[in-house]
Amino acid sequence: MEMPKVTRRTFLKVSAGTTAAAAAAPRLLNAMEHELGGKDFNPETLAERKAIPVNCHVCNIQDGAIAFVENGRVVKLEGNPEHVSTRGRLCAKGNAGMWYSYDPDRILYPLKRVGARGEGKWKRITWDEALAEVAQKLDAALKEDPNTIMLKYGRNRTGGTIDRFMKTLGSATVVNHTSVCESSKKIGMEPTWGPDIETPDFANTKYVLNFGSNVLEASYFHNPLSQRVTEGRVDNHMKIVTFDVRLSNTAGFSDEWIPVFPGTDGAVALAMGHVILRDNLQDSDFIETWTNVSVKDLKEHYRQFTPEWASKISGVPAETIERIAREFALTKPATLFTYRGPAKHLYGSYNEKACMMLPIMTGNIETRGGYCLPRGMGWPQPGPQPGKPAKDSYLSHPPDYPLAGHKVSHLVPFWIAEGKQKINVYFTYQDNPVYTNPGARAVWGKLFKDEKLLPYIVSMSSHMGEETALADIILPDCPYLERWEPESMPNSLWPWLGIRQPVHASLGESRENRILLRDIIHKLDPDGKRGMKQYWNFKDAEDYMKQHFDNIPGLKEAGGLEFLKKHGCWPIYGKLDPKTGKVTDKTGREIKADYGLHKKELADADMAGAVVGKDGVISKNGKAIGVKRNGKNYVGFPTGNRIINIRVDQWAEYGFNPMPTFKRIPWHETMKEDEMILSTFKLNVHKQSRTAAVKWLAEIAHSNPAWMNPATAKKLGVKTGDLVRIETRVGHMVTKAYVTEGIHPKVVSIPTAFGHWEYGRLATLKLKDKPAYGGTEDPDLQNVWWDDRGVHPNDIIPVVADPIGGSQGWYDTVAKVTKAGPNDKYGDIEASWEKHVEAFKETMRYAYTGDLHRKMHPEMAAWGGPASVKHKEGGGH
Amino acid sequence: MLNDLALETAVRAPLPLPVAAPEVATQEDCLARAGVCRLLAGAFIEEPSAAFIDALRQPESLHSLEEAGLHFEKDFTAPDTAALYEALSIEYSTLFTASGGFPPVESVRLTGRYQQEPLFAVKETYKRAGFELGKGRFFVFEDQLGVELTFIAGLLERCAAALGAGDPAEYRRQERELKRFWTVHLGKWVRGYARLIERAAEHSFYREMARLLGDFAEAEIFALRLRIDDQDKGRLVVPKSEVKVEFNPDEPVCGACPGSK
Repeated sequence: MEMPKVTRRTFLKVSAGTTAAAAAAPRLLNAMEHELGGKDFNPETLAERKAIPVNCHVCNIQDGAIAFVENGRVVKLEGNPEHVSTRGRLCAKGNAGMWYSYDPDRILYPLKRVGARGEGKWKRITWDEALAEVAQKLDAALKEDPNTIMLKYGRNRTGGTIDRFMKTLGSATVVNHTSVCESSKKIGMEPTWGPDIETPDFANTKYVLNFGSNVLEASYFHNPLSQRVTEGRVDNHMKIVTFDVRLSNTAGFSDEWIPVFPGTDGAVALAMGHVILRDNLQDSDFIETWTNVSVKDLKEHYRQFTPEWASKISGVPAETIERIAREFALTKPATLFTYRGPAKHLYGSYNEKACMMLPIMTGNIETRGGYCLPRGMGWPQPGPQPGKPAKDSYLSHPPDYPLAGHKVSHLVPFWIAEGKQKINVYFTYQDNPVYTNPGARAVWGKLFKDEKLLPYIVSMSSHMGEETALADIILPDCPYLERWEPESMPNSLWPWLGIRQPVHASLGESRENRILLRDIIHKLDPDGKRGMKQYWNFKDAEDYMKQHFDNIPGLKEAGGLEFLKKHGCWPIYGKLDPKTGKVTDKTGREIKADYGLHKKELADADMAGAVVGKDGVISKNGKAIGVKRNGKNYVGFPTGNRIINIRVDQWAEYGFNPMPTFKRIPWHETMKEDEMILSTFKLNVHKQSRTAAVKWLAEIAHSNPAWMNPATAKKLGVKTGDLVRIETRVGHMVTKAYVTEGIHPKVVSIPTAFGHWEYGRLATLKLKDKPAYGGTEDPDLQNVWWDDRGVHPNDIIPVVADPIGGSQGWYDTVAKVTKAGPNDKYGDIEASWEKHVEAFKETMRYAYTGDLHRKMHPEMAAWGGPASVKHKEGGGH
Repeated sequence: MLNDLALETAVRAPLPLPVAAPEVATQEDCLARAGVCRLLAGAFIEEPSAAFIDALRQPESLHSLEEAGLHFEKDFTAPDTAALYEALSIEYSTLFTASGGFPPVESVRLTGRYQQEPLFAVKETYKRAGFELGKGRFFVFEDQLGVELTFIAGLLERCAAALGAGDPAEYRRQERELKRFWTVHLGKWVRGYARLIERAAEHSFYREMARLLGDFAEAEIFALRLRIDDQDKGRLVVPKSEVKVEFNPDEPVCGACPGSK
């Protein structure tokens, strides 16, 4: 047999020599996964499934998603490849979102309480009966005072509907959840540079300082930002340094994890600023041009914050502070990110301010790879719109916290109990303070059970959360896959608009929020004579969306709402490259972001009629529209004077330090040797309270042992799995220990989202011990192989309010941890309302009206006291 | 609520006698079984109306139910209609519609979720058979117990009509549909589920009606000579050994579970 002329060696040669040509040859047949999503097929019939783009709303990152619908039900969720921020990826929570809709514990009908509050006895009633009852209660409340109608929301993505409802009623008593979220981060940032959050350009940076954020798992905006963190690390070889009390997955991914004593991030940041200014590593041109202080003044101010001083407070070695400070200042571009770590403390606003000073003083603002302003988009509200309520509400704008622009919701129960404001009707929407707030059952549970303080509670909810279980009437809301909602989130450097749209009809008799609110108003004002109905003139929820989206320039030409229904978001910046996972333009290159937003020049038309002040501020019609710098008319920053306010004069009015500073938490200074700080954290598969009932997520994570350091555990004689008793000033709990090196020795930390006593069968595992209800025959419950639902720590966490930003000091709790005694049982929790009241009174002492305010601010000795503050008129929401 | 588009059969007064289908069914027998189905549907499709309660508490109704082995207690026989209506409404909500209850819905019982494959399958079946779901006081899923029972009743009434018209072929066609529906849907879950309600109900009305439901289902399945596994089972506790998982459930996951090292 003759040997073939062409051998395998020949092929190797041919292949090596024709690589370029082979790469250029058309590839018409691709493996489906190379498409990176957008399509899905039934594996048996191969029929293409209907793809409906939505915005995810399991948590609040607002990822672009696609719901694949087959036979009228969602069979799969995945990322929307046309979404510029999330680029076809969803996190674990987003992938599991459909189980909200099909949960057997979902509330599908209006329910009226028939037993005592919390007894769990309900009667199904018709919508007509429910609306009539609610309207009658509202009518009576309106006759007394519209502000006796209160609405507290947790996650409000209605795009303005909640505010419209309350304004229609004339009530200013609208309270959000932000003080238990990140409000002191917002207040630390807003007066300084305008927006309440930053957008670090992780993908293009060379250096990241991460203070207390777990961006790869849980913080704002973990999916889109974690993609960019990974790109920065892989493609750009960036360095990332994380300061955190816990070895989170972000800390583990970092080049350096530096454990820091809770609440002292601000001191470390100030000391780093000290090094930068001392060694003349600052960007003097940026500071002089774009801020309201001089380099000289800044150097003088920072002289006090030495690394040795910070080291003593934080436990971070002075040489580490020196080294990291120099690395940060000498590496360009560099950026910084923070989340709850610095902000959730008594003086969290100061901490946040201290951190954001680092990119400011090094000029890394609005640069490629730097610390950028957030990019978002708005939408108009349908007209006509109701006006502001006539009177302000104490609970919405508590006078002791005038700088807390995002409210102080976690102190509301105490103010109601003190009689600061009477409530007749309490609405709750996507909120669950009985579980999520400090004090939990002991505080909010007590308030909700008190029919004198809250005579009538209306819950608008799709699930029986801890607060809904205490309601008088439940109006069944729809989970996110059955709602219309407008969206925009600044979760990347490209602004976008998006929608949620129903992927199928709502189940049972649930009604989406804007519809049920409309129905309440129509019941109250059937003929329009009360002047309310005019604000609720829309045919259906889609019609409402049309009024939002059909007249936005650019989107209008693209098709308005119809475009969004088809694509889920707008604009479409380019195509997702299956090889890189990045969005590319028509030429195949990655799309570029705009930087230097503050340096956009005002057009001649903008300048027509404008006046330039002595300080360079350009004003028009009484409003600052820009700032003149170096002979040019720039847009500047979105602050009142269009520059960065390193010195926040408004803070000084209330006796707070207007310059970057740090205040040590007094009770941390006096901690005893055997005391620790109790902190909490979130895992990547859960949000605060509403995911424990989601199948898949509950299976992945369902219990929450307390993390503690081996050194601490050794002292206590505790090993993993042992029961420990954690005691705070307001109560105690008994839980299991998880001994790990990944936690600061003076911290005990417990993940939240576990230990539910309501929220359905999976969250509570009630069916495992009480088979009379629900039956273990639920086929998915047969797969529940775990018996441990965890223990919720919020009952024993006392309230602390940042006197500036209003934030809850989640990570300020001093706790004594001991090995559990013979009478301690796993899951024991005891907490007292009276002790929580003491904690409330204590924290009020730090408010600007409190007796400890001056003591904490000796540097503000010249301040004239609370009486010197001119009362500012409030009003509205 | 589930309307037979072909026959427009009027709702008959309930004939609450659980009768097994004889080998050769008669028109009367089919109508009797249909009556039981409609009675049970009336109990489970939504909160019983005052009219339903009154009709059921008539002496002849109570007597026939007693003969069938049902023993209602004073909570059913003593209160006035309004009080009983209120009590049954609350019990219905607690058992079937409030969170933590057990919805009488095939998708939930067989897959653990609302609006899954059984729902779409029964919708197709109703459509093919010429039925459509009308509007009741509340929304119901097509695979809700009361609707499925109504469908069985409708098929039995068609069987009766076929026998009355002397059309054995049509009778056999309708009976095949009946057997198929028991086999593919109701028979898979209703027996175990009935036992569960019987145990969980606090009111004797639901306890006894659940017993009737279970007995009727057993009798029908037997008489129709069907072999259907009870996939619901209605057991209080599922032994861990029967938990089907694709991994070792005893494997420590977080390091803090009992038994972990």
